[in-house]
Amino acid sequence: MEKDGRPNWDSPMQFVLACVSYAVGLGNVWRFPYLCQLHGGGGFLIPYLIMLLLEGLPLFYMELAIGQKMRLGSIGAWTSISPYLGGLGLASVVTSMYLCLYYNVINAWSFWYLFHSFQSVLPWAVCPINSNRTGPTEECEVATPTQYFFYRETLNISSSIEENGGIHTGQALCLVLAWAITYLFIVRGVKSTGKVVYFTATFPYLVLFIYLIRGVTLHGAINGLKYMFTPKMAELANPRAWINAATQIFFSLGLGFGSLIAFASYNQHNNNFQNQAIVVSLINSGTSIFASIVTFAIYGFKATLNYENCLDRMRLLLLNTFDLAEDAISMDSVLEWTEKLNTTYPEQFAQIADKVREGECNLEKELDTAVEGTGLAFIVYSEAIKNMPLPQLWSVLYFFMLLLLGMGSMLGNVTAIITPLRDFKIMSRMSNELFSGLVCVFCLLLGLGFTTTSGNYWFTIFNDYAATFSLLFIVLIEVIAVSYIYGIKRFEKDIEDMLGHRPNWYWKIMWAVTSPLLLIGLFIFYIINYIQGGTPTYQAWNKELGESAVTEYPAFGQVFIVLLLVSSVSCVPLTALYAFCRKRKDRASEKRPSAVSTVSV
Amino acid sequence: MLEKILLLLSLSLSVAEELCKPGVGEAYKVRFSIKTALGDQAYPWNKNEMFLFRAALAFAMRDFTNGEEFGVSDIHPCNETQRVSFWFVVTRPNTMDLVDKGTVEMAIKKSRNRINGAFLLTDKTLEFDGIYPTLAAPVSPDTPPWLIVFGVVMGAVSVGIIALLVYPLVQRKLKKNMDADDEDSDEETGVKTAENGANDGIYNSTFSDDERFTQM
Repeated sequence: MEKDGRPNWDSPMQFVLACVSYAVGLGNVWRFPYLCQLHGGGGFLIPYLIMLLLEGLPLFYMELAIGQKMRLGSIGAWTSISPYLGGLGLASVVTSMYLCLYYNVINAWSFWYLFHSFQSVLPWAVCPINSNRTGPTEECEVATPTQYFFYRETLNISSSIEENGGIHTGQALCLVLAWAITYLFIVRGVKSTGKVVYFTATFPYLVLFIYLIRGVTLHGAINGLKYMFTPKMAELANPRAWINAATQIFFSLGLGFGSLIAFASYNQHNNNFQNQAIVVSLINSGTSIFASIVTFAIYGFKATLNYENCLDRMRLLLLNTFDLAEDAISMDSVLEWTEKLNTTYPEQFAQIADKVREGECNLEKELDTAVEGTGLAFIVYSEAIKNMPLPQLWSVLYFFMLLLLGMGSMLGNVTAIITPLRDFKIMSRMSNELFSGLVCVFCLLLGLGFTTTSGNYWFTIFNDYAATFSLLFIVLIEVIAVSYIYGIKRFEKDIEDMLGHRPNWYWKIMWAVTSPLLLIGLFIFYIINYIQGGTPTYQAWNKELGESAVTEYPAFGQVFIVLLLVSSVSCVPLTALYAFCRKRKDRASEKRPSAVSTVSV
Repeated sequence: MLEKILLLLSLSLSVAEELCKPGVGEAYKVRFSIKTALGDQAYPWNKNEMFLFRAALAFAMRDFTNGEEFGVSDIHPCNETQRVSFWFVVTRPNTMDLVDKGTVEMAIKKSRNRINGAFLLTDKTLEFDGIYPTLAAPVSPDTPPWLIVFGVVMGAVSVGIIALLVYPLVQRKLKKNMDADDEDSDEETGVKTAENGANDGIYNSTFSDDERFTQM
């Protein structure tokens, strides 16, 4: 224990692993591969790495420095820098709270899938049979079994955000479990968190490695890998690629939530966070690239499988219509036979012409279906897994890895709420365990709202709006505050005090010039995008058609979005105003002569 | 005599041809996908296999109608193709009356598994056009398996939480007992130690450097 009674990490290694566990999360697995595919495969690495140098590293370093120097959570740390900036910390806490609410729901889904993997036939591999026992359920027939399992059995989704239903008990149970495990990990503060991160930070890499070997040995994986790695350099001219790279680095490192400040506040004063910052950022980016290799191998396998199934269906159709011998058409000769039969038997072919056109098989098209987010993790991946030999094993491994990634990030999210609040004297009277327990129960009860039938649509609102815009705002103010209000010179001195040497010119230029400019650019882009985008929309699941349709948010949805944004962003000006009023009151009361001059200690 | 037999035979053949018209009346189309099902072990389709089919179908009709003595000659196939698909009709034993589609369908449905088994095929590889297989009833266990795994994990987590919460309390109690023993044993020293709880000391913040506030 340090002199001020603040708990510490047992070793710097625990701190590094905690940061890695926090930063390496689901986004590395399901957002980066999507961006890679969208922006020209291998070529996307160029803007990605450039943004890492210009924006990711300096901001990460800065947050660690603040946390380690101030030895307080985000609210206390920013209040120490300037009493008018306490709102920054508060905004971070509010944003972290929103994140905690919806992030653990993803863990609940992972648990659901994990538990359902312990069956001889994976439930998302086959459609359930309808009541007449004549065929699969209607909804499952128009969609795919994996989509049916996700939308119907996991979410029991309603057809729009306006329709509501009851809570899905299975989901609710999994959410309770997710919060119970989160509590178990944080109940002793950094003492328990520090031990847990040894596992949550390292085990996912083992699973990724196993999946890499499995993935590249799958039939057709090479198609996916080729597709990913052929760089389309033309994409680099598209400004969207650069903006997406900047945004991805930003969110992937988890800046602005206050978690990094909280983690660093438990460090020893002289901890060498400079090297640690570089190491963690590089590990984070490396993991993204590693995960996309695995994802693309899996994509290639799935696309090739779908393509071959499509060819097989065509083959059967031709065989059955023209009554040819079974081995007359092989998979490779389907296309030439289609041509031949079209020319030799045009009238008969005309009968099935529609079916042939509809079921046209195209490998490129299969590979082109770029998916991100929960769709990738729970639909595309599970579809690929069900086709692997010994699917139960791969399913268990995969969802266990998702759980570790998600839980590791949750540790940071919850610590970001608990640490600053505990710094307030009122809260510190409560015992550690009780306070953490209350936070977990509170988030659990609110999170149950996401397990209702329209819960997934609310989840999407939170996912898209709760943390994106506010974080940009928070970090922009952070970097301007440190560079110009606190002053680079003072910051330099503080770092020298901790590390023994000043940061070199690269860091200073990034903090003072490049990062603020980049962030302002991103900020403006987001605002323009939001205004130009018109009414915000979401994907509503239509059970008759078995697909998602783009729907506009109703009025209350849009109001809620605005509330989300305003509630976190407004903390900054409101707290500044409050501090200003208090200072004026203090100054006014100082001027009044005091009757008794006490020697206060 | 011979001519009579020949006449009857040709008559029956022509009748069979008339009876079995693809797509018309009571005819059903059946399709075999032997190579798909058995791969290398596929048997070639020949007259013997056709005989087996007719026998199997006759069995199905007998089984369904509970004893009506259908024979192999009551199943009339026609329009055989290379695909291994053909049409067939069923006639009542010893007559030329066609059995209606509904009865045939129900007979086949009842004995589907036996017919499939005779050819080492499945519902998908031995298709009767228009007769949908009755899928097996889903096996629903009493407790869904996921609930069992959930219970195990939840139990383990609860035990962990309780252990982590109770452990320090137990430790503190043990320490208190040990301290009470120690106090009893050094009464002679006469040094009055501070009460339990204040052993760690209080950090006096008066002398710390708190000037971290930015001068505004």
